[in-house]
Amino acid sequence: MTKEATQTDAQVKNKKPVSKKVDPYEGKNIKIVKDATCTFCGCVCDDMELTVDVDEHRILKAKKACVLGRAWFYEHKVDTRPGVLIDGKEATFQEGVEAAAQILIDAKFPTTYGMSDSTCESQRVTVEIMDTINGNIDTTTSVCHGPSGMAFQGVGESTATLGEVKNRADLVIYWGGNPAESHPRHFTRYAVTPKGMYIPNGKKDRTVVLVDVRRTPSTPVADIFMQVKPGKDFEVLWALRALVKGKKIANDIEKQTGVSREVLDDLVDRMKNCQFGVLFFGMGLTMTRGRHFNSGALLSLAADLNEFTHFVAKPVRGHGNVTGADNVVSWQTGYPFGVNFNRGYPRFNPGEFTTTDVLSRGEADAAMIIASDPASNFPKAAIEHMKKIPIISLDTKDTVTSSIAKVRFAVSTYGINTGGTVYRMDDVPITLRPAFESTYPGDQEVLEAIRDRVKKLLSGKKARVAA
Amino acid sequence: MSATHLKLHTAPEVPLETEVINPTVFANLSQSGIENLNVMHGNDKCHLGDFFKVTGKGASEIHIEGDLSGVKLIGAGMSEGKISVEGDVGMHLGVGMSGGEIIVNGNAGDWVGPEMSGGRIIIKKNAGHMIGSAYRGQSTGITGGEIFIHGNAKNEVGSAMRRGLIVVGGNAGDFTGVNMLAGTIIVLGELGIRTGAGMKRGSIVSLQDAPMLPSFDYSCTYHPLFLRLYFSRLRANGFKRKIQDQHITGKYKRYSGDGIELNRGEVLLFAG
Repeated sequence: MTKEATQTDAQVKNKKPVSKKVDPYEGKNIKIVKDATCTFCGCVCDDMELTVDVDEHRILKAKKACVLGRAWFYEHKVDTRPGVLIDGKEATFQEGVEAAAQILIDAKFPTTYGMSDSTCESQRVTVEIMDTINGNIDTTTSVCHGPSGMAFQGVGESTATLGEVKNRADLVIYWGGNPAESHPRHFTRYAVTPKGMYIPNGKKDRTVVLVDVRRTPSTPVADIFMQVKPGKDFEVLWALRALVKGKKIANDIEKQTGVSREVLDDLVDRMKNCQFGVLFFGMGLTMTRGRHFNSGALLSLAADLNEFTHFVAKPVRGHGNVTGADNVVSWQTGYPFGVNFNRGYPRFNPGEFTTTDVLSRGEADAAMIIASDPASNFPKAAIEHMKKIPIISLDTKDTVTSSIAKVRFAVSTYGINTGGTVYRMDDVPITLRPAFESTYPGDQEVLEAIRDRVKKLLSGKKARVAA
Repeated sequence: MSATHLKLHTAPEVPLETEVINPTVFANLSQSGIENLNVMHGNDKCHLGDFFKVTGKGASEIHIEGDLSGVKLIGAGMSEGKISVEGDVGMHLGVGMSGGEIIVNGNAGDWVGPEMSGGRIIIKKNAGHMIGSAYRGQSTGITGGEIFIHGNAKNEVGSAMRRGLIVVGGNAGDFTGVNMLAGTIIVLGELGIRTGAGMKRGSIVSLQDAPMLPSFDYSCTYHPLFLRLYFSRLRANGFKRKIQDQHITGKYKRYSGDGIELNRGEVLLFAG
């Protein structure tokens, strides 16, 4: 028992105890990483302060991180699993690269999927590989905000950065999402509580509206909660568009959608009379019946409102760098996802070249899965087909996909072990500041090795044909 | 009558793209010339003969046999002649065709006759999504021609169509006639939800009642005379069993829409 602990209460009261601050990190080799970036969700908060135990290769404290961010930082430790497995057997890095390159060049319809938990630099190499071998490129966008990507193309996007939202938005509407649980700092860092240039009192100066099919932990944040009957989002958005334009709507709107005419009129009034409005939308809209038309209806509503005030719409993106995947694939091929290079030039057709479709129809004859686990969440037909074809998997943890992979690379984690660039959900690029080194290579390194080997093998093949 | 016969002898392992199956391309080619036409097997350049046995002669009619569900782009850009298929076909059948006729005695995949401007496509069984539609990113779908689906069709039948006729003998999926600019869609079975969303002009007809979007306005119940012409023609084209006398003489509920757009479109639902 320490001396301090035996002191009487009076002594404690009269005399301030000598503060003997126990240093929890005493004797440890500690490194502080300032302005580190959390890559767990699309918020990509870049104001973290990480306390890293350099010897033990782990993060002890992540200041400013939300509950999800803390789990992300604390749970990444050094692994002991083998770096490369071929058919479940340990192999060298070179053997793994050789096997992966062979699979890719032998395939007639190779596809790649994932990429949203990977840096832009790695994504760029992936696109280059698929361009070289005339393969098919798709990212996790196709099963999350892919419909929004299609809607952007169809109706356009009135957009803004989260900084503008923070500084200007006095009407914030969330549609089909639950940020309190999926993006905890979206409210506190970007859109609801922060004080901004023209929003000096933070939340007091904003009206927050939440639209969803049920009450969620996000509901208490909202000033107005609009509950829509499941699967009726499109009808409500369409009715709002009609009202904004001053057109008639059906009298039975409440019966159809669960939302009364008064509530709709009130919302339309608020939307038309705000200074700067923003519509954030989630997968409650993009992954329910109607998909790209739901997103399209919301984007059109934002566009319509620009006749009266400034209004923008932004999808709330899930994975850390899924926005980067869209940006890189668009920059490299002209299209955001579901791109096919079979004919040597890019073709875009969601439904035809998106991964769930090419796998479910049994079309792809090889797949390279990067930082994603489709084998645990894809439709049954797609998973069954994945079991029949050679899979190359690059992942930071063992997954169902890596367990069925022919060639499995263990890679380090972006943002924790490797640096690079990621895009925040508002298309703002952010630099990563890694915390500690991993024993595994980054996915960029693995992909570059595969790319170089593929190019070499192909040049040999061509030379043989020419001879 | 002269006809070239193609029989599938090797099923493709990955999608096969065969836009060369087109009467204009076959014209003046010998059997070996047809067998040597290039097709894409995934990313691999192959010959038509690697998959099909070619017999017969002449380009005015091409007859194809086999399970072609993995074969895409049959009759792409076709402008004349006839293609008949015994079996199922894959995606993009008759894409951008301007003339001639394609008959499929089986099912068809997604994108039947997208952006076609003329000619006729007949599918005897079911078809997939995006029948007679615009491709993603295009503002205009079909600008002419006819598509007859005897079975069911899935979502987005006739999306952004500008002219022409699409008939679905069975049920249609959601968003039939979405963003339609003009033209006619007739569904003899049930419509899905959100019919005619964003339509500017054009007519969508169904023999069953259907839910309407809040931006569509009920106009009246009447007997549209023009339907007589359409229905008597469709009866003569294989839809006799589904179109009864009461459908020809009966009344229809008319909804005008889409209110958000020009409001010059109409949805006609059989009311008895």
